[in-house]
Amino acid sequence: MQSLLTATRSNQLSLGKRAFSSSVSRWQAVPQQKPVLMKEFKIYRWNPDQPEKKPELESFKIDLNQTGPMVLDALIKIKNEVDPTLTFRRSCREGICGSCAMNIDGQNTLACLCRIDREGSKDTKIYPLPHMYVVKDLVPDMTLFYKQYKSIQPWLQNDNPPSGTEHLQSPEDRKKLDGMYECILCACCSTSCPSYWWNQDEYLCPATLMQAYRWLADSRDTNGAERREKLQNEMSLYRCHTIFNCSRTCPKGLNPAQAIAQLKLELATE
Amino acid sequence: MSSSLVLRSALKRTFGRRIAAGPISQARYATNDAAQLQYVPGGPIIQGTVNDPTSFPPSSRTHGSHHWAFERLLSASLVPMTAAAFVTSGTAYPILDGVLGVSLVMHSHLGFDACIVDYLHTRKFPVTGQIVKWGLRTATVATLIGIYQFNTNDIGLTELIAKAWTA
Repeated sequence: MQSLLTATRSNQLSLGKRAFSSSVSRWQAVPQQKPVLMKEFKIYRWNPDQPEKKPELESFKIDLNQTGPMVLDALIKIKNEVDPTLTFRRSCREGICGSCAMNIDGQNTLACLCRIDREGSKDTKIYPLPHMYVVKDLVPDMTLFYKQYKSIQPWLQNDNPPSGTEHLQSPEDRKKLDGMYECILCACCSTSCPSYWWNQDEYLCPATLMQAYRWLADSRDTNGAERREKLQNEMSLYRCHTIFNCSRTCPKGLNPAQAIAQLKLELATE
Repeated sequence: MSSSLVLRSALKRTFGRRIAAGPISQARYATNDAAQLQYVPGGPIIQGTVNDPTSFPPSSRTHGSHHWAFERLLSASLVPMTAAAFVTSGTAYPILDGVLGVSLVMHSHLGFDACIVDYLHTRKFPVTGQIVKWGLRTATVATLIGIYQFNTNDIGLTELIAKAWTA
């Protein structure tokens, strides 16, 4: 058996020697090496175990040609190879979980959807989502955001469900939910909104308001009157001053500002 | 060697349990201690547990949709009103002059009020917020009285602007 294997191998070898790929000139060619492209990342660091130490930007230099294309790849590389104490949230690495929302070069976005700027002379600054309480490094405290999301009762409420069949919905009615149901609640829009910065405790953020409208626009939901009534106050909805930061920053390309405008229109024409 | 390992792991377990038990008893104590975990609007301490939804302020259409619709309609109506005042004269149409004056003051009042609610709300600034709120109300009333006096006893708002424009 073994002799047979060696025979075939030597046969292949001799065949290979005659092939172009193994000619003398090809043997002398050196595989081309990628040039080193160093890039500086300045990352916000704060450790709750050292509360007396102020938050600071820590600088990391990595070779972009040994890194994946996205900022999340760079962060994972830094965590794996340079500093394992670097803390950030990540899960799906393809923009569907919303975990890795952070402020990259002044723009709230998902690190997994944000390409690294390959200009090596310019550094990239990474901060946690602005105006949130920081748990550690790039991890913000999202508790209030989730509590606010819960307050709009983001589930289907129908007092007269069809018996025995599913809820039917016309294609036109279904189309009204497009651009709203895709929201992954990464809070990029909410934390880019100055109104949410100043009145976080009372103003429902763009993400929550868009979901509030998503359930109002749903033809199967019959609790619209109560949902609208809850928003009839000074703070919950009307702290939106149409700044449009939310629509500008959304990493999923959604338009929370439009949903809020429709919400205002529905409330005013009710 | 093996006995020391066993001892160490046992030690770790007992201490681990004690460390785990520590913060729980502390947290309980802290919840009872109202001063340490007092709710401050916008502060890091949240109301209720993590699983409770946030509450809504009491519903009021006056502060909700009516306020918003009035604000928009007022802003929109100021455009034709300003244009009308531009092509006519205040002395010939004193009603228009008066309505324009009142609308402008209301428009600015609503604008300033929005700033106060945004930045100096009384829930966060119990003293400063009240001072600014009532300061704005006083200023608005004083301006309205002033405009009334100026429109009835003097040349009126439109004429004043026309004069200042040509001066």
